[in-house]
Amino acid sequence: MKVENNIILSNVFHIVLILLIGFFALQNLNLMLTKLRFVEIADDLNASFLELRISEKNYFLYRSSETLQEMRDQIDNSITLIDSAQNDIVRAIGQTNLDELRKYLRRYSAVFEEVRRSTMRDPRLESMLRTQGKRLREFSAATTKLERRRVNEIIENSKKVLFYSFWAVLLTAVMVSHFVSQKILRSLRLIEKLAKSISQGTYQKIEGTLPADEFGSVINAVNSMSEELKDREEELIQSKKLASLGILTAGVAHELTNPLNNISMIVQNYMEFYDYLNKANSLDLMQKIQGETERIEDIVKNLLDFSKPKEAVLGERDINETVRKALRLMQNTLDISNIDVKLFLQDGLPPVLIDEHQIQQVLVNLILNAVQAMEPGGRLTLASRRGKSGDNVKVDVSDTGKGIPPEFIPHLFDPFFSTKGVGGTGLGLSVSYGIIRNHKGNIKVDSKVGAGTTFTIELPVPEKGKEEIADEQLQDHGNR
Amino acid sequence: MSSYRIMVIDDEKIVGDMARMALEQDGYEVETFLNAEPALARLHEEKFDVVVTDYKMKGIDGMEVLKTVRRLYPETKVIMITAFANLDAAIEALRADVHDFFPKPVKIKELKASIQRALGK
Repeated sequence: MKVENNIILSNVFHIVLILLIGFFALQNLNLMLTKLRFVEIADDLNASFLELRISEKNYFLYRSSETLQEMRDQIDNSITLIDSAQNDIVRAIGQTNLDELRKYLRRYSAVFEEVRRSTMRDPRLESMLRTQGKRLREFSAATTKLERRRVNEIIENSKKVLFYSFWAVLLTAVMVSHFVSQKILRSLRLIEKLAKSISQGTYQKIEGTLPADEFGSVINAVNSMSEELKDREEELIQSKKLASLGILTAGVAHELTNPLNNISMIVQNYMEFYDYLNKANSLDLMQKIQGETERIEDIVKNLLDFSKPKEAVLGERDINETVRKALRLMQNTLDISNIDVKLFLQDGLPPVLIDEHQIQQVLVNLILNAVQAMEPGGRLTLASRRGKSGDNVKVDVSDTGKGIPPEFIPHLFDPFFSTKGVGGTGLGLSVSYGIIRNHKGNIKVDSKVGAGTTFTIELPVPEKGKEEIADEQLQDHGNR
Repeated sequence: MSSYRIMVIDDEKIVGDMARMALEQDGYEVETFLNAEPALARLHEEKFDVVVTDYKMKGIDGMEVLKTVRRLYPETKVIMITAFANLDAAIEALRADVHDFFPKPVKIKELKASIQRALGK
């Protein structure tokens, strides 16, 4: 059910509940009012009946005809009172009780008339009048008392009902809002998880049945967004790869221009001087052309070697030689970008057990990153040195570029993380990291925003190499 | 009258060799250099009529050769050749009053024609 519907439903429920309570309270108030009106009338009647009985007593004492007249008036007054308030009385105590009251009053009136008509005292009649008067008064008083008790009961009841309904409304309000907010929170948590996965680039989707409310629609929308982003990222990576390849091939293309120019100039001269060239001259020119084609072949082979993925083949290598090879591959890219290169390669480093092609790839990646981080006129420094403990060899690749903000450093080796905008695949460093880890080495970064970045590769020296270092160190001590 | 003197600077040896071969045929006196330092030293000793230089070289590059020649011998023409055919470099060279700017691969006939224009022939 939609959250909106939930809220509307709970509101409707509460409004109905409050209306019911109000209606009930109104009913009680009305009933109470009726009863109170009756009690008022009954008080008048009781007073009237009391006076009647006082007059009755007076009559029996003094036998005055005035008293008789008074009594007649009082009876008539009572009858008028009952008749005029008939409706209120019926509502309060019902028709039966009214009839009963009227019956008592009629009987009293009848006995009273007999007493008035009789010329002499009749003790039997007098006693009857007394009895009837007593009954009338008792009935009236009892009814009044009963009604008073009822009014109290109604008030008590109303208090109770209001008290319980207050708690009922409170409880349902708390329960309903808890239920609704739980539902909202559950959905929000799902969306949060989804958003997090998107920001981390894992592009998860929320599977299973989605809630059939607004959040379901939101999750659905985010799901399809995630899918769309994933597709787009794949396209983006592809185009970034091509861009990166473009930078590399621009360098290679320029490298090819020189031998191409050489061949072209030789051929132009060969055609121009064809008639004057002797056999030795011709052969010399052709050999030069052959040399230049071999140069082109080397460049192409180098590029193919670099781009072809190969299984790791470990061999003992001089790391300085690998650094030089990587630099040669990048020389033209560096020239185009007008980057100054400084080499500090320590002599006498122990050989390292590496796949030269893979380490070269790492170095090319790092050099390419450095070039892209720098403006023309920047300086690239490549340095090799022995680690302090002697069990590894380090290569630093430093640039004078814009540096990496500290918040990016922890993500630097994550796949697809890139600070280059459109320029990078975000793959170079993660691939490099993987290669170095496979060599049981380490790759570290030290960067200062505005000053530059240094990537340091550490490669372990195999056991044999370590012994050599130890020997050298012994000899060093011996020489001193 | 003595023949015109032409200096060719390029770190590709074949470029110098082939230029010499082609230009000597037309009666020019040609000297070739593989980098700019000895070439500039030679220029301080003697005046050349035309200097053909590569744009991108290790150490002193073509732009600096151009500027030095302009300073030393305002009437000597400089022709630049480059494997990096980029517009910025060409504009920079033109601003420094280069006589001509050729991308590699060089057409020898065009180079010869350019040298003739430079000599006012």
